[in-house]
Formats: sequence, structure tokens, C-alpha cells
Amino acid sequence: MSYVRSLVASIRVGWSRDFGWTNPILGFSLKTIAPIASTMTALTILYIGFKNGASIASAQFPFLLGYIVIGATLYAHISAYSWVPTLAIAEGKWTFVFPQVYVSTRSSPPYLAGRCLASFFSSTVTSMASLVVAVVISLYLFGVAIPLVITPLSLFLFGIALVVNIFASMGLGFLLGAYAIFASKFEWALPTYVSGLLMVFSEALFPVTSLPHPFSDIGNVLPFTEFIRASRAVLLQGSVGSYVYYLGLSFIGGIMLLVLGLLAFKYAERRARRLGVLDRKVV
Amino acid sequence: MSFRDAKPTVEVEDLHREFKGKEGTVLALDGVDLKVREGEVFGVLGPNGAGKTTMIRILSTLLLPSSGSARVMGWDVAKRPEKVRPLISTASGAERAGYDYITARGNLWFFSQLYGLSSKLAHERINEFSEMLGLTDYLDRKFYTLSTGYRQRVTVVRAFINDPKVVFLDEPTIGLDVMTALKIREFLLKQAKESGRTILLATHNMAEVDAICNRVGIIDKGKILACDTPMALKRSLGAPALVMEMTPPPDSASLEPLSKVDGVKGFTSSIDEERGVGRVQVVVDSDESAQGAIDFARKSGMNLISNWRQQTTLEEVFVALVGRGFREREHESPS
Amino acid sequence: MNPRASIWLKTVYARTWVRTKSIYGEPLWVAVNVGFPFFTSLALSLLYSSAGLKSGIGFAFLGGVMVSFWGNVLWSMASQFNWDKQQGLFELYITSPAPISAILIGMSLGGILGTAPSAITLAIVGWILFAPPANPLWPLVAVTFALTLASLYAMGMALSSLYLVYGREADSVNEALHEPVSFLSGVYFPASLAFPAVLQAIALVIPLAVGMDALQRTLFSLNSTGVADLTLVYRDILLLAIMGITLLFAASKALKILEEKGRRAGTIAVRLR
Repeated sequence: MSYVRSLVASIRVGWSRDFGWTNPILGFSLKTIAPIASTMTALTILYIGFKNGASIASAQFPFLLGYIVIGATLYAHISAYSWVPTLAIAEGKWTFVFPQVYVSTRSSPPYLAGRCLASFFSSTVTSMASLVVAVVISLYLFGVAIPLVITPLSLFLFGIALVVNIFASMGLGFLLGAYAIFASKFEWALPTYVSGLLMVFSEALFPVTSLPHPFSDIGNVLPFTEFIRASRAVLLQGSVGSYVYYLGLSFIGGIMLLVLGLLAFKYAERRARRLGVLDRKVV
Repeated sequence: MSFRDAKPTVEVEDLHREFKGKEGTVLALDGVDLKVREGEVFGVLGPNGAGKTTMIRILSTLLLPSSGSARVMGWDVAKRPEKVRPLISTASGAERAGYDYITARGNLWFFSQLYGLSSKLAHERINEFSEMLGLTDYLDRKFYTLSTGYRQRVTVVRAFINDPKVVFLDEPTIGLDVMTALKIREFLLKQAKESGRTILLATHNMAEVDAICNRVGIIDKGKILACDTPMALKRSLGAPALVMEMTPPPDSASLEPLSKVDGVKGFTSSIDEERGVGRVQVVVDSDESAQGAIDFARKSGMNLISNWRQQTTLEEVFVALVGRGFREREHESPS
Repeated sequence: MNPRASIWLKTVYARTWVRTKSIYGEPLWVAVNVGFPFFTSLALSLLYSSAGLKSGIGFAFLGGVMVSFWGNVLWSMASQFNWDKQQGLFELYITSPAPISAILIGMSLGGILGTAPSAITLAIVGWILFAPPANPLWPLVAVTFALTLASLYAMGMALSSLYLVYGREADSVNEALHEPVSFLSGVYFPASLAFPAVLQAIALVIPLAVGMDALQRTLFSLNSTGVADLTLVYRDILLLAIMGITLLFAASKALKILEEKGRRAGTIAVRLR
């Protein structure tokens, strides 16, 4: 029970931290702008390629726009909340909150999980809003309607995919957090690199099969790649069979990543305690 | 040493400052009048939320007053801050201001440049003041590697590096170990005596005020209640304070009627947890009042285990003026 | 030398020194700063490739280079005062005789010198990996690059004045500004090939947009004949010069007004403890 209590309190704290300085509408609006812009950058590059290159057929273009709009917004969604544990630890060391959490009954995992979930809720809203806005902007800017499959079933299945992805993103969050516990500087560097790697390997903007071997293999085993494929399957192709296949892979990969992340984090905590760096301020 | 003939360096007249917020308006300063002279170490003593920091911020040109006037070295702080700033410096115990990846020396040199010092002169002063504060061996370490005590020594050196005429210090020894605090106080005294600097020291540490201040202004709820030398303030109470110890410790409700005893100006209470004893310090105006307070305690059923008279402290002066001690005042204060 | 000029110059030098010493004192900064721009440029290069426009790869890496500086402007210029406020450094600037403009110019110069290694590294890596086609007009590249940086950092100075009053709220606005400005400025793509004329005209108020247009034209010759449309480049140069001067002037004025406002509202020394 105290675990759940700790988790819920951490969700509330995470929410307050993100929106406490303003009203939620302004807060959400500001958080939505960035993913819209980054999605539109990718869409515009595709458009320029379509207009000036020779490899995209006219019939194919709307589908490719849909491919990118889904990938880019979901990439932004994953990035937004998978680095929250790092942020919570670095910030928590600076404000002395983290050592206090660490010595509490349930210690840090429910706190970090709660902060992660708070960010999941907010980034889900902002990412979906940015997806919708990007679709509308594309219509006016490129004169092309993106053929998304929007039905109650597709939305429901998409929602499940978002929830299933929590395992993978939280697992990644704990892995990055394991580094942050030791870091006294540049704690944000590793999440930045990982975020960049995800952009290349998670099939956000282009199929990983276009990467040379063995880099394409790396992309194929990531649960994030499977999550994005599952989402495209249901929102773009309307294929439930493919969706289930990719979602299954995402779920299995996510569970494995979560277990790995938690183990790494636990090890990091023990070692940090031995070295006396749990309450060492970051610079 | 008398400062009456020295020229005033800090002059404050009817200073008011209010802050408007969501919870309403807070009156941080409510008509403060003050004059500090050249070479004086002037303490501003009061509990948290009394207005000490607000006054320092106005005098150091960080904040504008709502009304009234304040002058430093003859220049109006609100209208001519550009004239004031080359002549002052400020340091706060709450800050650990420095760039983490730069050495202590590099940080001090950097701040010296904001005052136009030549590098040669800057390094001379850095070396001189660091020697006085025992900082020399740490000058070439990166700022983030320094402990709290050494960072604060760097802060204090920084406050004097530009040879200021007036230095504003806001709780400079808060949170520091005894040795570091002692070193800093010795340094401040030396600077005031030998260089004729005016030092305005905002603090709620009475030992510090007793140790180094020529005069002290007691401030509460934005008003200066009294202003004189520490000795004169203590003498103004007349009789030495009465200290009573009782067990079990009495609760605050049962102590309330004590303030109504004839001749009792106020009291403050504390608990010695280790001994399980309550201690009440009563500010009285005569020996008869002290006896009256003892009789009250006995008649109220308190188990008085000991009582004695002790030399007046500045907190007792505050209690006499306000009726409550610092601790009680901080609990009451909405800020 | 005039004492005020002396303080001004010493302050600029000292602040530049602090910024560059912080970065070069920790060589890891270079590797850290290269990371995200590199992967973004790489991903977008691969997107250009898969879209059948390999000649666009140069835009992706040029964008990465300029985003390094833009990021520095937003996070180490505009946001720096927020951090300085939290550490108690900002009030030390205000209470010193040093002009804030000197502090800002020192920060800008330090920022440029500090960002340059990672930007150059990114450009070299991009060149080695992809050898994007380019036909630069080097004198014009140098002029447009210098003017773009000057205007960008002048904009950073203007933004930093927000922190005198708006503290943490401006931090969130910063986060919101980064990507949209990059998009509207066509950092990773030639906006002239994608945006309608109205949107291009609107974007011309952003120094980064003007600078990107000029750099893309002078580096990659957007015209199909292979010759850069120099008329538009000269237009961009003129716009950048005007913007730089205007923004410097505006920043200076804004700083004075907002400092006064900050002193009145009591927000200069507000910080997290």
C-alpha cells in the first residue's frame, strides 16, 4: 500500500513540477509547440524530396507523410518521458529532495516511476495534440490530406500501444537514471545521446532497413521500433494482425528492458551508497 | 570608540517597502530611520521576516523603496544607483555564488574585473585577503570542489576585493562551523578598524553582534525598535534577567499569564530535552518583579527546580521590546 | 583610458574568459555538445536520402552546425541569467558598476568560442561521412556566417532581459521557442523551396531565418544553374546587419527598463535556495 501511496504522490509532484508555474492550458500549449515543429521539419524535408527528387510517386506521398507524422510524434513522446528519471535525480540532488526520497520507506523506484508516469500523461496529450495539428498544417502547407485510419477501434488499440510502451520507456528511464546517480556533471548528456540514437534507430523517420547491416539489426530489436510499427499498423494501414504482432514484440521487449533497467538501477544505488555519492550535488 | 564625529555613510529616512502578492500585501519595511557612520560595524538584528534582507537589498540598489529615502556615501540609491555601485559591495550567507568550473582565484579575479581593477592589483588583494582568511591553499581549486566553509570565505574575499567604502553583509556566517565563523568575524573587524570601511551586518546571531558590532539596530516587523551600542541596550533593561528551570516543562498556555505579572517585560521559553527540563528566561525591571515571577511559577503548580539571575543578552532586549523571543516571533510571523 | 570604457572592456574580457574556461576546462563538453545535433543531422540526412534527395544532406549538417549556436543562444545566453539568479550571481552583477551589456557581450563571445569546436567537429564529421555536394562562395559565406551569429546573439541578449522579471516562466518559453524557430527558419531545409511566400516573408523577422537563407545560398547554390542568386544574398546581408544593430539597441533599452522593473517588483534577487 505504501508503494502505491508513494507512486501516486510522486505522480502528483511530477505534475505540479511541470505545470505548477502556470495554468495547465498554457503549460500544455507551450509543451505542444516543440513536437509540432520537429514533426513539421521532418514532413517538410519529405515534401522537398517529393518535389525535387525522383523517387517518391504522387500516390505514395500522402502515405509517407503519415508514416513520418506518426513516427515523429511518437518519438517525441518517448523522448519526453523516458528521460524524466534522470531529470528527477539531477534536480533532486540539487534540491536535496532525492536523498530524502532515497531514505524513505519505499525509496526511489516508486518516486521515479511516478515522475515518469506524470510525464507520460502530459506527453501523451501534447504528442497527440501535435499529431492532429501537424496533420492540419500539412493539409494547408502541402495541400495533402494524410490518410490516417481514425475509428473507435484504431484509437482504442493505439491507446493500448501507448500504455504498453510505458514498460520500455520506463525501463530506459531507469537505465539512464542508473548513470545519473553517479554523475556529478553532464548527467543530461547520456539521455541526449540516447535520444539522438533513438531518432536514428527507432524507425521514427525512415525504415531501419535502409541502414546498413548491422545497424539495421539494432533498430529491429528495439521495443520502441516495434511500438512505432504497431502504431503505424493500426493508424495508417488499419491492419490489426500486424498491430498485434508488433505490439507483442514491443511488450516482450519492454518487459525485458524494464527488468534490465530496474536491475541496473538497483545495482547503481547500492554502489553509489558504498561510494557515498547519493547525496553528492551535481555541478 | 565614538563614531559621532565621523561622516555618515549610510542614511535611511522613513523607508517603506511593501510587496504585493497573491496572498495580499506584505509590509516589509515600515518607516525605518537609520544613520551609519564611516568605520562603523553596524548590526541589524531581528528574527526571520523582520525586514533585514529587504533593507540590505534596497541599500545595495537591488530593490527600490516604496517610499522614503536611502543614501549611501551621499548618493540616493533609488535615483543614482550607478554612483552607489562602485562604492559598495554585498555578500550573503545564503549565496555560494561562483562559477563551478573556474578556480576560486579565477572567480575572484572575474569579479574584480567588474569593478575595473587591474589584474595585478586584483591578484595582490586576492592573495592578501586569502591569507587572512586561511584560503590560500584552496585558491587554485575549482569552485565546485570547495566545502561550504571555503566557498563562504571566497564570498567574503569577493566582497572586499574592490576596496568598497560600504559593505553590506546578510548573515555571512550562517551555517558555518565555529572556526570559520570566527575567522570571518576577525577579518571583518580588521577591515573596519584598519581600512575605515563601514560594514552593515544583517543577522539574527546575537553572539556575532556582541562580538563585532559597534552599534546594533533591533528590527521587528519592518520597524527599528531600538538602536544603540550592545552594552547600552543591555543596560537599558535595568535588572538582570531571571532564569527559571522546571520539570516537567510547562506548556505555553500555562506560561501566558506570566507576562501579566507586575514588572515582567516579556519572556522566552525552551526545553532541554536531554534533562527533561523547561527553561524560562524572564526579562524583569527590578528584583521585586523577579520575585513576583518566581511566586507566580510556584502558585501555578510548576515544579521549580532552580532559578538564578543572569547577565542580560540581546535576545532579552528584544523580548523586552516585543514581548516574545526570536523563536516565538518567527512562529507567529506569516512570512 | 576612460574609467567607464575600461570597466566595460575588462568586464567583456572577464566574462568571455569565464565562459570559455568553463567549457575548455572540461573537454568532455565538446563531445557532449556534438551529440544531439549530430544524431539529428544524421537522421535528417538519412531522411533526405530515403526521399531521393541526397543533395539535401548538406542542409541537414549545416542545420546541425547552426542549431549548435542557436541552442547556445537559447540555453546558455537567455537562460544563463536564470541560473545566475538562482546561484546569487545575478545580483552581484547588478550591484557592481559593470554594465550588464558588457556581461552579455562577454557571454556571447564566450558562447561563440565555446560552441565553435563542437560545430566544427559536426561539420567535419558530416563531410567525411556523406561528402555532400557544395559550391561555396567563401567570402560571402564568411560574411553571412559572422552576421548571422552577431544577430542571433543580439537576439539572445534581448531574450535574456526577460529573465530579469519573468524568471522561471521565461525558461519554459525558451523550451517552446527552440524547435518552432528552427522550423520557421528552415534550419534543416531551404525554406524557399517549401514555404509559401507569405510564410517566408513572416519568417524574415527571425535572424536565424535570414541567416540560414543566406548560408544555404552561398554554400549550396540553390539556383538550378549552379550559381547563387546573389541578389537575395545581399538582401539577407543587409537584413542581418539591420537586425543585429536593432536587436543590440533594443536589448540595451529593454535591459534598462526591465532592470528598473525588477528593482521595483523585487524580482532581481529571487532564487531557489
